[in-house]
Amino acid sequence: MGTYVRLTVAAEAYAVPVSNVLAIVGPGDLTAVPGALPEILGVRRLRGQIVPIIDLALVLGLNATVPQRQLLLAEADGVKAGFTIEEVSSVDELDGQLEAAESDFLLGVMVRDGEPFGIIDVARIIGSLRRAGS
Amino acid sequence: MTDPDTELWEAFHEDVTHRLDEMEAALLAIEAGDPGTAMIDSLFRNVHTIKGTAGMVSMGDVAAVAHAVEDVLAIVRDTGTFPPGLVDPLLHATGAVRGRVNGGDMPVDALLAELADALTALRQAGSGAGDAWAQTPEPGSEGTQVPRSQQSPEDWVSRGVLEVPARAVPKQGRELPGGPVAPRPIPEQRSVRVDPVKLDNLLDVIGEAVQDGRRLAHALGPEAELPKALSAALGAGVRTLEQLRDSAVRMRTLPLAVIAGPLPRAVRDFARAAGKDVTFTVVGADTELDRVVLESLAEPLTHLLRNAVAHGIEAPADRERLGKPARGHIELRAVPRGNLVEIVVADDGRGVLPEVADLAGREGSLADVLAHAGYSTAGEVTHLAGRGVGLDAVKSYAHSLGGALEIRSQPGHGMEVTLLLPVALAMMDVLLFERGEAVFGVPLAVVDEVIQVSQLATLSGRLSLTVRGRPLPAADVAVLLGGHAPPLSRRPRALIVAVLGRRIAVLCDALVGQEEVMVKSLGPLLAGAGYLGAAVLGDGRIALLAEPAALVRGRPDTPAQSGLDRPPDPPRILVAEDSFTVRELQRIILQTAGYRVVTARDGTEALRIITGDADIALVVTDLEMPGLDGLELTRAIRADPARAALPVVIVTSRGSEEDQRRGVEAGADAYMTKHNFDQHALLATVERLIGR
Repeated sequence: MGTYVRLTVAAEAYAVPVSNVLAIVGPGDLTAVPGALPEILGVRRLRGQIVPIIDLALVLGLNATVPQRQLLLAEADGVKAGFTIEEVSSVDELDGQLEAAESDFLLGVMVRDGEPFGIIDVARIIGSLRRAGS
Repeated sequence: MTDPDTELWEAFHEDVTHRLDEMEAALLAIEAGDPGTAMIDSLFRNVHTIKGTAGMVSMGDVAAVAHAVEDVLAIVRDTGTFPPGLVDPLLHATGAVRGRVNGGDMPVDALLAELADALTALRQAGSGAGDAWAQTPEPGSEGTQVPRSQQSPEDWVSRGVLEVPARAVPKQGRELPGGPVAPRPIPEQRSVRVDPVKLDNLLDVIGEAVQDGRRLAHALGPEAELPKALSAALGAGVRTLEQLRDSAVRMRTLPLAVIAGPLPRAVRDFARAAGKDVTFTVVGADTELDRVVLESLAEPLTHLLRNAVAHGIEAPADRERLGKPARGHIELRAVPRGNLVEIVVADDGRGVLPEVADLAGREGSLADVLAHAGYSTAGEVTHLAGRGVGLDAVKSYAHSLGGALEIRSQPGHGMEVTLLLPVALAMMDVLLFERGEAVFGVPLAVVDEVIQVSQLATLSGRLSLTVRGRPLPAADVAVLLGGHAPPLSRRPRALIVAVLGRRIAVLCDALVGQEEVMVKSLGPLLAGAGYLGAAVLGDGRIALLAEPAALVRGRPDTPAQSGLDRPPDPPRILVAEDSFTVRELQRIILQTAGYRVVTARDGTEALRIITGDADIALVVTDLEMPGLDGLELTRAIRADPARAALPVVIVTSRGSEEDQRRGVEAGADAYMTKHNFDQHALLATVERLIGR
């Protein structure tokens, strides 16, 4: 199936195709953007660009009780965005069966060692925010 | 981009346009009384080359017309006389060829007949010979036998690729048609082709280096406390970086001359139609401006010139009665002013009415008074100036680029309309201010003044600030931008912002100061949030740069709701266009008019967006795009039952009836051409189709 970055968001297990991932960075200082969608926590400087930071837990409809300690810098359709995550657990080759997911923002669900985890659809999230925000 | 046919076409278009500019300049100079043989030689040389290159791109009709013009000019050259009646048929020919290479139709037969008549008249005047019709040119007869143009492939420009002059372009200040002038020499354009995206990346990195330099200086503490050698080295380093940045910014700029070519001809035609006698001069044609600014400037500039002719300059008899020279004068002037350029259209006509000058004295600025749609100094609306004078549109155009419009006029003594535009869109003079924990900025050009607020009142429940005895609506900037912030400081500052004909006092906690910043895009996810972009400050903080229109438009003070299921408000328009410049221009026009805009770089991306977004209310598409083109996109939309009724507007450089017919057959609702692109017509069409 390919290589995935496995991570946790609000204590749940997820994975992102490595092809979408540019970097994992610390949280850094965010500048809030008044008037932006609530899913967009703010912007920060990353590699010479200003990048919007997205509250991944809110997008996935989760209630984050633990502070999200890392940022996953991802790209889809030429648009870069940072996603708040709890932490990265590993980078793995995964070849399990992809089951259909309930959420619009997941490519599907895989089961590994008896534990399910969702494959995040970065392009879908960015596309949806792009339409809602324009 | 690498299609050789496209490159050939672009090269042809560039070359012919340039030669037509030169020919029209020469014809206007001759009309103004310059009988020099240099003019005639230049005309002859240019038309000969046009004839040859037209054959290369299979434009037999252009070659035929050029051939006929060449025949006429050959006699002029041999006899050494240029009868005054010859200017008109030759200008008709150059105008028609220009229209043709811009994608329009050309009345070939009528032109050939007119030129043949001119030829007959010339021959009869010269020798009295009766064989005038013996050598009537045959269309396309010689089109392919003429040598190729002198351009080398490096000179070829393709759409979407910036030309960076490898050598300075000669200065091109010109005066037309008042005195003896040489037609503009074709500047040597040895250039390298650079993808604009690469230039933007370079600018980004250099901008970062400049910020790093400033941060280092900031971190080291006050300059006075540093060892001398360190302070000197630091200063030199920062300066070098700033020079580097300025050079990179200049790579995106081109001289005003690039668009000024057709203007003398346009002014002449306006004057003819209005029965006026006008000379026109261009000063500062070598002044450079951002390419995006430059390309969007042609339309407002033409509009201002048309206004000056139709509404400013008096009829010759009236001028003489007033003790003025019968011939009026209009000057187009470009003057660099820091990181702004002043584009001035000045006329020596009637100026504004005394009542208007008085009103402007009371209301604040002449620009504000005149920008109220429909006002005209001529007291009536003529067919030439169109309905309303449209200064409001020119003003919002300037504001959309972070610039401003200023007008000076004395009744009876002419008018000066000044557009202040940024040299480079990447750099902007902004006023920085604080609200809560955050720093914001607005373009300096829209801020009239900054006031220390001692007292705020409410009027009909809304905040109001009295400035010099007059009440102004006031609002907390945090509310205007749609955010939350702690209560305003006890003595807030008010920025008096004037935009879109409205003035508002924008309240903030404290002023940070004025700074020239590099504007960075916030990206598509924040495209509708009301910002021009952001700037990174010396201390590393990010300042959000508020869009002036968003400030005066304000926002209802409602709590934010989830964006993913937010109901749509203003209609959303998809712009599909492969040229960055055209795409940005259309985006700015539509956004300025209040629409939300999504963009796509080709038909495939457009179709993907349309399929995934049921909210798209209208599609504006180019015809020629890589991959899926505009016709295929239109057909695909019509073939989808869910979207078969989605309005489609085709905006293209191809304007022949055949193209239009194909567009309509594919299912397009409207068809507009780029070469006479009119933003009002686009907005009117969009409004009609969306039904707002």
